[in-house]
Amino acid sequence: MKKFIGILMLGAILMGLLAACAPKTVIETVEVPVTVEVGVKETEIVEVPAEELDYGLVTFISTQGVPIEEAEAMRGVVLKDFPGQVEFIGSEYENFEDTILAEVQAGSGSLDVLGALYGQYPTLLDAGALQDVGPLMAKLSDRGIPDAVVELGKLGTDTQYYIPWMQATYIAAYNKKALDYIPTGADPEALTWQQFSDWGKNIYEATGDKKLGFPVNGLLHRFLEGYIYPSYTGGMVTTFKSPEAVEMWEFIIDMWQYVNPQSMVYGYMQEPLMADEVWVTWDHTARLIDAFKNQPNDFVAIPAPSGPMGLGYMPVAVGLAIPVTAPNQEGAEELISYMTLPETQISVLREVGFFPAVDVEYPGYIPQGIRMEGEAVALQAAAANAVPAMLPVGLGPRGGEINKVYRDAFDRIVINGEDISTVLAEEAVILQALMDETGAPCWPPDAPSVGACQVK
Amino acid sequence: MSKTFLPSRLIGRGFTYLTAILIVLWILIPIYLITVAAFTPREMIYDFPKELVPKVFSTDTMRFFLGAYKVLESFRNSVIVAIISVVLSITIGAPAGYALARYAFRGKDVYSIAILSTRAFPVVILSIPLAVTFIRWGMYDSVFSVALLHVAMALPTTILVTSSVFLGVSRELEEAAMTLGCSHLQAVLRVVLPLSLPGLAASAIFTFVLSWNEVFAATILTLFNRTLPALLIVQIDQSPIAYRFAGGFFILIPAVVFMFFIRKYLFTLWGITLK
Repeated sequence: MKKFIGILMLGAILMGLLAACAPKTVIETVEVPVTVEVGVKETEIVEVPAEELDYGLVTFISTQGVPIEEAEAMRGVVLKDFPGQVEFIGSEYENFEDTILAEVQAGSGSLDVLGALYGQYPTLLDAGALQDVGPLMAKLSDRGIPDAVVELGKLGTDTQYYIPWMQATYIAAYNKKALDYIPTGADPEALTWQQFSDWGKNIYEATGDKKLGFPVNGLLHRFLEGYIYPSYTGGMVTTFKSPEAVEMWEFIIDMWQYVNPQSMVYGYMQEPLMADEVWVTWDHTARLIDAFKNQPNDFVAIPAPSGPMGLGYMPVAVGLAIPVTAPNQEGAEELISYMTLPETQISVLREVGFFPAVDVEYPGYIPQGIRMEGEAVALQAAAANAVPAMLPVGLGPRGGEINKVYRDAFDRIVINGEDISTVLAEEAVILQALMDETGAPCWPPDAPSVGACQVK
Repeated sequence: MSKTFLPSRLIGRGFTYLTAILIVLWILIPIYLITVAAFTPREMIYDFPKELVPKVFSTDTMRFFLGAYKVLESFRNSVIVAIISVVLSITIGAPAGYALARYAFRGKDVYSIAILSTRAFPVVILSIPLAVTFIRWGMYDSVFSVALLHVAMALPTTILVTSSVFLGVSRELEEAAMTLGCSHLQAVLRVVLPLSLPGLAASAIFTFVLSWNEVFAATILTLFNRTLPALLIVQIDQSPIAYRFAGGFFILIPAVVFMFFIRKYLFTLWGITLK
């Protein structure tokens, strides 16, 4: 009996080993179609330089382009023509920061290029992890990066710490079927949030379906921080519990009657749009792009609606930096140079849905859907009443906590139906504690502050 | 007499079965839903209500997922890490458990508690120092390093579980073997170990599952050689829901298969037979 048990044990271990070895054969059969597809795309878009340079292994860690399809597109298409071997590692912010800080403390590293949001760099700067990339920026001056965008890369100092890579934002979108129900007199390209809500109401009254949608399981916190708060209160943190904020929450509760209840599980709005579950929505450009790419004749990209205080919107700036411990300095600089080439920027736009940081003409082969999204983004940024809201800055590793405050407020007020003023007062205490403990000064749209930002 | 006794026994048995069925469903239904969703075409994933038996199958999501960069490689890494962890934790933990079970020594109780306290220590606050140390020692980014940390995490339970397993093996048997000419080591190897094999196997399951699901150490200690959970946790968290199901399915199956093969021993641990 005991022998029998022993044999079974051995069998189990063997199974494990088999499982360990088996994938090798699978890998080839599965990867083939992928490379073929990539090959086709590549011939369409990129002119390959004839030179035979090789910059070796360049390790590129990024907090953007992490979702599985975006990461695959980065590796298979965007980075494919770099003369060298790029190892692209998508990483959530906490791990990204821990890894870089550990390498800097240990005095040796394997990361060459960092890709992160504007607001994610200050902690690394404080830890002395970032190189001065001023000379490289000077070399790339012909790329046509707008000065204001270059300036962001100095992180409020006199030294250039990152090179602008790409940008994104959040916009609204609708299905053309919804046009029959649009409130009278409303211009889809200049909606107000009230009209957005009325639109949902009209659809509901006519069809019985709740066709507004929000990514509650996705980036809803950006909707609260960067869109509805600035639109209704003109601020993000300082106006957190202002009377205008109370009105704003009342508006959201009212609008929520016409929001598809499935919104609680939506992470990306492109799927529910394409599945015809949602007709009018709001999300990150990279999370809507498939709908516009696949069905450009059914969906329309529009600027986000505006509120009493203007059109609150959140531009997302992404930059490339080099850590002080980069083992392949030359490769790192070349990769950054490559990433800012107009061709690469277009390829990022096409594959990942992030917009160029450099000045580029959209070539004719750019699909209509992407072009349309680009126009909505430009329209939104150029709106006369635009209120740009920056991603939270200066909170360091606690950047995620501010999102939780807004999301908790949402859950308690809109989902649980708790009293607005009570919830705002309680959450404001947490928000203020976060500001005090990190000492973060106010960032736009809130007016600059001396010392930690204060909730009024 | 027997007329009233029989129905109540039947009801009792029926109730037991009903409870068992409910528990099984409670576990199987989510697994079933994940499996179905992993093979549902992407545009239908939000359809509601769901059909119990899906009519349309699609392997597109799963194929893309399996073909994605390093998914299969990290699967292999996970298996290697889990095997190293199981082997090491048993080789190191079982002798310690034996010592706790058989020998009386000064500070034995303190020792047992000290072992557990390492488990109570939050590993998260160690993240950067841990990575720094591994980088300095040139052990960063290797499956072996991850396995080492998993062993450290699994050892407390391995030691305590094996010690109770050895306690269950009669000391007289061991002594009898020694009177018949075995050395102490031989007695342990030939008598105690075979008898405690089921318990050791159960402790191995525990280590395997711990290692298989562990994300934190695996992410902080690796860059290129990630285990499956470390690779997936970020990507899946930020990916469309179709990939979350595909990933969930892919990460679930090996654990289920491992459990299936080793489940007999689990029941042994829970006191059904240990003679």
